[in-house]
Amino acid sequence: MKRIRSLLSHAVLEIILAGLCIFLAAAAPNFLSAGNLLNVLRNVSMQGLIALGMTLVIIAGEIDLSVGSMVAFSGCLTAYVAGALGASGPGPGAVIAVAAAILVALLAGFASGAAAGALRNRFGVPSFISTLALLTALSGAAELITNGFPLTPFPPWYNFIGGGYLFGIPFPALLFVLAFAATHLLMNYTSFGRAVYAVGGNAEAARLSGINVSAVRVTVLALTSTLAAASGVMQSSEIMSGTATTAKGWELDVIAAVIIGGTSLAGGVGRVWGTMVGVVFLGVIMNGMTLLNVSEYWQHVVRGGLILLAVLINRMERREK
Amino acid sequence: MESPPHTFETDRLRKEYPGTIALRDVSLRCAGGKIRALLGKNGAGKSTLVGILGGAVRPTSGTVLVDGVPVSFRSPREALDRGIATVHQELSLIPGLSVAENIFLGRLPRRRGLIDWRGAGRMAENLLGELGLEIDGRVTAGKLGLAGRQMVEIAKAMSHAPAVLMLDEPTSALALRETERLFELLRRLAAQGVVILYITHRLEEIHRIADEASVLRNGELVGTIPIAEATPVVIAGMMFGDLPGRAEAETVHPSGPPVITVNGFTRGEAYRDVSFTLHRGEILGIAGVLGAGRTELLRGLFGADPHDAGSVTVGGREVAPSSPAQMKKLGVVLAPEDRKAEGLIQILSTRININLAGFWPPSLRWITTAARERAVASRYIAGMDMAVPSVDGPVSALSGGTQQKAVIAKWLETGPQVLLLDEPTRGIDIRAKQQIFGIVRDLSARGIASVFVSSELEELMEVCHRILVLRKGRIAGEVSPGATSLESLLGICME
Repeated sequence: MKRIRSLLSHAVLEIILAGLCIFLAAAAPNFLSAGNLLNVLRNVSMQGLIALGMTLVIIAGEIDLSVGSMVAFSGCLTAYVAGALGASGPGPGAVIAVAAAILVALLAGFASGAAAGALRNRFGVPSFISTLALLTALSGAAELITNGFPLTPFPPWYNFIGGGYLFGIPFPALLFVLAFAATHLLMNYTSFGRAVYAVGGNAEAARLSGINVSAVRVTVLALTSTLAAASGVMQSSEIMSGTATTAKGWELDVIAAVIIGGTSLAGGVGRVWGTMVGVVFLGVIMNGMTLLNVSEYWQHVVRGGLILLAVLINRMERREK
Repeated sequence: MESPPHTFETDRLRKEYPGTIALRDVSLRCAGGKIRALLGKNGAGKSTLVGILGGAVRPTSGTVLVDGVPVSFRSPREALDRGIATVHQELSLIPGLSVAENIFLGRLPRRRGLIDWRGAGRMAENLLGELGLEIDGRVTAGKLGLAGRQMVEIAKAMSHAPAVLMLDEPTSALALRETERLFELLRRLAAQGVVILYITHRLEEIHRIADEASVLRNGELVGTIPIAEATPVVIAGMMFGDLPGRAEAETVHPSGPPVITVNGFTRGEAYRDVSFTLHRGEILGIAGVLGAGRTELLRGLFGADPHDAGSVTVGGREVAPSSPAQMKKLGVVLAPEDRKAEGLIQILSTRININLAGFWPPSLRWITTAARERAVASRYIAGMDMAVPSVDGPVSALSGGTQQKAVIAKWLETGPQVLLLDEPTRGIDIRAKQQIFGIVRDLSARGIASVFVSSELEELMEVCHRILVLRKGRIAGEVSPGATSLESLLGICME
């Protein structure tokens, strides 16, 4: 009995998610079909990829508000570089051009996150501020690159990254699950993962334990920004263009998923698995409401309410402990 | 303000806590016009007395008399109303508000329901003028220096026109020049007939400020003497009582090879030109009064704070300590003064905290598992007799003594050469204290050297092979515990 009780209190979100799925299975016949479930996974994979990194950032006591803009910027940068290198041409030249463009976009993501980390370490600029500045700057930069119009230099096969299937599974979903496994291992079975918790729990005590706090901050911020850039590449592949106006407001969806998953904004507390559940939870709700023909406006209202509810449940559970 | 001097008395004031008596029938008598210093080592009952007189603690029995009238109070507010104002060690001003607002906070004058700013300004100006302070009431409190804020704090207390002004360690954060300003103000207030009770750790300053000194020991008032008679030897005798001589004079000086040599270590005024050599397995004590630079020196050696000059030779390499990570790698580690905030990460588990220092750099150990960490933690928990209900529970649930052991365990896991211990026994019970001493001695036997900083001189006499005395940031002497008395050690600290 006691074990059941402790399982219940440790897995509140998982239980709610299961309940929600049972309800939807009964209310919307299509919900449980393999096709629909894979669709859910595909829909959440791009935001989910960023949420994995954001979990590390928030556990380390930082925040990254620039991820949405980074998605748009990275997509546009990929399109621009690919176009400039002749991606729409024939043969192996196009492959090289696209590969180089992706690499440039990922490097830009890495540099942007590392810069925010360096500002935090060297000048004490809170990551909230530096990434807020990046949010605006990257969005503007995306517009500058594209001149306000979508760039479409991609060869048809490029669509595979964001829209293709491998062994019947959507490719982005596959990437997301792999990234989840990697982050989960990183946070639970490596010294680096422990150091992230330590820095978020008490940066000064971590420093006085000989942990390189600056390196931890730069790493998590750079990692998240790189994942956002990767997500941007996938997004550009899905819509086959570099568009400056995509992914607006993603940062808030991503942070919401992390918080729903039980990670504390105060730092030092959180789990990658929780974020996975939070991401799927939000995806299932959106999918369910679409299947049930709930109007889009209502979907937003309901989602907001559910975010609040999930956080409240988390709070109460923690207070009981 | 030229009224007859106030008087203040306590009559057999007593405070019992379950299991202990914090204050035993203390009868103090003070008259206005004189400044009374109140001395005693940690745990002597000073803070209980301050608590009672400030209205935060209720006495078990006994009376407080102000101007001959018995008074009782249940809150700081009521104590203030009965004429006893307290200025605490921690400043309570709100930095964003003006000096005048801070002084009259919660009782700003009103006109037609709105705050009368002009009236408040005038009142503040009058008050500050009467106290002879050159502080503008309109300036924001946060812009003043520490001394200035301390003055405003006193002005705030004086705005209630108290009979008794009690100051709890007012100079602990002040520089020497600033304390002089504070003392001038206190002398002026004493001259106006206010009773001034001055509680301090800094024995060396009582001659500059006090007229008389009262000493507490084990909750009892040992006595009150005029300041002219309060030589270090007399005060030490009153504070520590008749100490039994050192039982075992095991001052077998470990004379192994040197593990660390500190050369000309300097940081501004905090510490200057400090040099010493520590041998394998040696326990070196550092004595000195509060503000002598002990904590700063240890933090400098660990690379936690920058230093200006000097070097450290450890393991045959001469280095300038620049970060805790660097010094950890060289085997020099620090158990900081504030173990709760700086030694451990309170929200994380005991298991993770004990492994905390072993985690970085990850190249030492890339992969880690909870099972492995649990094994490491359990080894120390058993070896150090730590009371830990659950290794996976938060470290914040542990007692102070057990937390201190966890800090030491954290470092032992990195295989250190030199352990820097800053007040390792502060605030922990006598049993845990003895256990910490035992651990330090065991490490010494295993060849690990320690630098042991403590305000409790008896402790240093008990554990250390050798004691350096730090005074105003410089080494003022070196003492061998077997061949020195506590009185003469205190004498060297204070001079």
